Amino acid sequence: MIRLYRVSKDYNGIGALIDVSLHITKGEFCYVSGPSGAGKSTLLKMLYGFVRPSQGKLLVNNMDMGKANGRDIAHLRRHMGVVFQDFKLIPKRTVNENIGLALDVLGTPSDVIARRVAGVLSVVGLRGRGDELPQTLSGGEQQRVAIARAIVNDPALILADEPTGNLDGAMAIEVMEVLQAVNLRGTTVLVATHDAGLMQRFPYRLLRFRAGRLEAS
Amino acid sequence: MSFGTHILRRASRSLLEDIYLHSMATGVIAAALLLMGVFLSIQYNLHRMVRSWTRDVHVSAYFQPDVPEQRRFAIRERLSRDPRVAAVTYISEEEAQDWLIERVEGVAVALAELGPGVLPASLEITLRDGEVAPPGSFADLLPPDEFTDVDMGQDWVARFNEFLNTLRLLSAIMGILVLFTALFVVTNTVNLVVYARREEIEIEKLVGASSSFIISPFIVEGLVQGVFGALIAVGGLWGLHAVLVSRLESALQLGVGADIVVLPWPWLGGLVALGVTLGVGASTVAVLRFLSRAP
Repeated sequence: MIRLYRVSKDYNGIGALIDVSLHITKGEFCYVSGPSGAGKSTLLKMLYGFVRPSQGKLLVNNMDMGKANGRDIAHLRRHMGVVFQDFKLIPKRTVNENIGLALDVLGTPSDVIARRVAGVLSVVGLRGRGDELPQTLSGGEQQRVAIARAIVNDPALILADEPTGNLDGAMAIEVMEVLQAVNLRGTTVLVATHDAGLMQRFPYRLLRFRAGRLEAS
Repeated sequence: MSFGTHILRRASRSLLEDIYLHSMATGVIAAALLLMGVFLSIQYNLHRMVRSWTRDVHVSAYFQPDVPEQRRFAIRERLSRDPRVAAVTYISEEEAQDWLIERVEGVAVALAELGPGVLPASLEITLRDGEVAPPGSFADLLPPDEFTDVDMGQDWVARFNEFLNTLRLLSAIMGILVLFTALFVVTNTVNLVVYARREEIEIEKLVGASSSFIISPFIVEGLVQGVFGALIAVGGLWGLHAVLVSRLESALQLGVGADIVVLPWPWLGGLVALGVTLGVGASTVAVLRFLSRAP
């Protein structure tokens, strides 16, 4: 699913990621951990095609991210779900519309969108909340909407950048349970976090970074 | 839902949701086009005015007193066959005198005292539409030994036209500056529209939306802004024209209304096209600029 061969990324000569090689197989659940500035977010940004590697080779779903153009990246993102700490929901759109957007961009017919959205709302425990606006939901619920949007098109890979960073303990556990459930359906999940408690409660493979280098895998 | 319906739905939704920003962008386009329209209208009316003056001005050629009448008629015949000439009228000494006496009170006595031959016979040459007679024209048909003076009449029109050409050049430079300023202001106003929807664009990009999916509604919005802006500008031009004509008519007591026109329809169509180009261009530039920075 994901392969890095001696990948480095620097911003104006400052190394954000240094000589990283790793392999994540299909269906795996992995944590990307480390202190601030360790390179967690840079790795995730490279995986969803926002930044390119400065050196080395990065393959996501067999796509060489160093050579991918805008169209390739858009295509890749249709098979990938991305979840952020700040949820990234459109405030003026209802929960249904926010989730349906991932299918809307594919030109999916509206009746199919409605059916699929209702399905994922059940998966994330928000059945019947589809007509509400995001700001009427709690932080945990908003994050579950973001996860619902990420999984509505059955992606092969979910990237979550500090998905529990803005949530209290109970809500963070709820979100992790949803991600775990998604992983059990066969989706590869990569979670960037520095929450040791969560990693202990939900033990999976840990990729630990420090100062841009992969310390432990 | 087809891609076209989808774009129209998203564009109309955005137009309604951000109506204040869209109205502002439309207003800026309207102001820029109105300025451009006024500028074009002035140019167009000056051009028409000079053309009409050129058409109305005659060339007057005054005979030497000793040129026999037969010769005068022969010259008139030769001139009337010239392709540049629309009509030639022979005015005898008597006709010239009668014309003057009719128009200037008391001149009859003075003319009688001066005796015959004070006012020379002449040829009034009317040129065809679009023809001009620069100094030296008809030299072969109006030999200097048979004429005391040839008044080309159009000399001052030609000089005024030269002045207008300079004015046109300056105006063209100003017009280009106005256009670029308008483009700059419109682009920055549309930037606000794009900025207000930055999250939406970022999210669309993150879920794999193609560039055309993201840009298309903005193009439709730009089109709507451009068309409405242009229509407001055209309406404003008509309004300004009506006010100007009524003020001039009441101030000068002249029938100038028919002489001053807004702009011909093709020019107004061009103004609408310019509005659409401004709206669509500014929207496209703004959204592309944002897309290049979005994750």
